[in-house]
Amino acid sequence: MTTPRTYRALGVTLRRSPVREADLLSVIYTREHGKLEMLARGAQRLTSKLMGHLEPLTLVRVSIARGRSMDQVTEAEVVDAFPAVKSGYENSARGLYVAELVDGFSALSAANAELFDLAVQTLEALGTARSADLTLRYFDLQLLRLSGFMPELYNCVECGVDLEPDRHRFAVGAGGALCPDCGPPDVVVRPLSLPALKLLRLLHRTETVGALPELSVPPPLEREVRETLAATLQYWLDRRVRSQEFLEIAKFA
Amino acid sequence: MVSEYNPGTARSLSRLIDELNRLPGIGPKSAQRIADHVIRLPGEEARSLADAILEARDSLVFCDQCRNLTDASPCEICSNPQRNRDQICVVEERRDLVALERTRSYRGLYHVLHGVLSPLNGVGPEDIHLPQLFDRLHESDSPFQELIVATNPTLEGDATADFINRRLAGSGIRITRLARGLPVGGSLEFADETTLSRALAGRSALD
Repeated sequence: MTTPRTYRALGVTLRRSPVREADLLSVIYTREHGKLEMLARGAQRLTSKLMGHLEPLTLVRVSIARGRSMDQVTEAEVVDAFPAVKSGYENSARGLYVAELVDGFSALSAANAELFDLAVQTLEALGTARSADLTLRYFDLQLLRLSGFMPELYNCVECGVDLEPDRHRFAVGAGGALCPDCGPPDVVVRPLSLPALKLLRLLHRTETVGALPELSVPPPLEREVRETLAATLQYWLDRRVRSQEFLEIAKFA
Repeated sequence: MVSEYNPGTARSLSRLIDELNRLPGIGPKSAQRIADHVIRLPGEEARSLADAILEARDSLVFCDQCRNLTDASPCEICSNPQRNRDQICVVEERRDLVALERTRSYRGLYHVLHGVLSPLNGVGPEDIHLPQLFDRLHESDSPFQELIVATNPTLEGDATADFINRRLAGSGIRITRLARGLPVGGSLEFADETTLSRALAGRSALD
């Protein structure tokens, strides 16, 4: 049986870059086929039918033609432009943070429908009145889980003993929480407060971002959880998360 | 040494192809075609091309005021007394300034950012000419009445516009953004929903 020349997909646009005179290289995370890199011919032209449909952070339905070296977008239709996420520098920086991490934690053509759903639900939630910081922390932890890098939060990652309240530490390089008796060599062990561990467990247990309870998280606790997750993301990504520092700039702009 | 990518090619021609191949948007095949064209040029035209590259490279400087590339600072636009000094238009690239000048509809001054804020590419406010813009507005003898943000209507362009707007809140300068909507010759059927909703929001009465 021959492979069809064209196929369709529903995806979130992660990034795009100009190539040649008026073409775009578009990277889209699709539900059906995972991350795809495609050429959009003429998409930089003002009169292109693709223009505007392939802006980053847009949920689009695309028709794709298989190419010898690279597939090409032949049609694109916006399903949700997430206008609230694109309103303002700070919101855009949050949306691009989601896009950068989905991009960084996914391989080309490796489908993960749950990760796609997480990205879409996070972008939807960022446009609501829900706490954006808590939404992003939920995204961080669930992204790690869906990518196979979920940190251990309930037992010592070394000896397996149940963690007792206030008798735990955290080591990114070891894969999660540690009891006071374990200290694997060559890993940096950091303290983790009990409220931070509880918040991480809550983020882990909550099934969808929409089911997150409305919590008033004190700023120091939010910072501790953010830094713990940022260190974990950076460890597995093996590079810094560029959009993270823009979120800091946005807060003081 | 002959490049491994250009077997059977003379050393000097191979070097030209390699240099052309380093230019943005020029692939190996295009580089060969351009090189073939260049070596067939009359000597005078080839020298003129080489001179133009060297002259542009060596003599261009940033205008102290608008940060456009110029042979002498301040540039022609900034030193032109006929320009309206109440208005300043912020553009991403020099090419955008050229496009606006072609319209002959704008007679104010410019500020060229030479980029746009882009979290995914690690481009922050200090990496483009944004601090120079804020310094210029702060130090100007005759304050601007209006600042037109003419960055592209993209996610990064809009984020840059919002950043400028927030930084200049309370400065007394009227901050405006270029209108968005349907392009001339465009088609409603193919317009994305963001463009269409902005076109609707910015509709105007038929005179």
